[in-house]
Amino acid sequence: MPLVVVVPAMVWVTLLLIAGGFALVRARDVQQRVIALDLLAVVVVALLALLSYFWDVGYYLDAAVALSLLSFVATVAAARYLGSGGPFG
Amino acid sequence: MISVVLDVVGAVLLLIGLTLMTIGVVGVLRMPNTYAQLHAQGLATGPGVIAVLASSVATENAAIITFAVLAIAFVVLTSPVAGHAIARSAHRRDTRRK
Repeated sequence: MPLVVVVPAMVWVTLLLIAGGFALVRARDVQQRVIALDLLAVVVVALLALLSYFWDVGYYLDAAVALSLLSFVATVAAARYLGSGGPFG
Repeated sequence: MISVVLDVVGAVLLLIGLTLMTIGVVGVLRMPNTYAQLHAQGLATGPGVIAVLASSVATENAAIITFAVLAIAFVVLTSPVAGHAIARSAHRRDTRRK
């Protein structure tokens, strides 16, 4: 992957990360905070993928897979908890 | 020859993915209620990150492409379920409040 593509993409994803943090701060209720956190996790997954392309090593994508699964479990647990008042309800 | 073609394909996929993720982030910032924000967020968490991960074909590195395919499979499985869970919790809260 040529550097002229990867480096601007990494800068842009970092800007998206800052905008996602702003969305997290601006959220008005708990569901909107969960949405913003899920979005932030996905932006970090994209940033890890771009780091993997930049250094041409595979192990950043291990972290990306683990982070995507962890954010899925966290999102579903938080949503179940908010919807029914308990994690197994 | 094939390397140049793969570079172009990867750059185009990266551009598509970053455009979709930008639309998602701007939508979450601009939309007024939870359901509309969830609609915009699903664009970033589904197709956006899939396109960014699919641009790994341009690296021509077998380890990177294998893990990117694995990550795409996980995202395809988990992103709709997470969006559905958030929408369900918001819907239950709204019906309880009434």
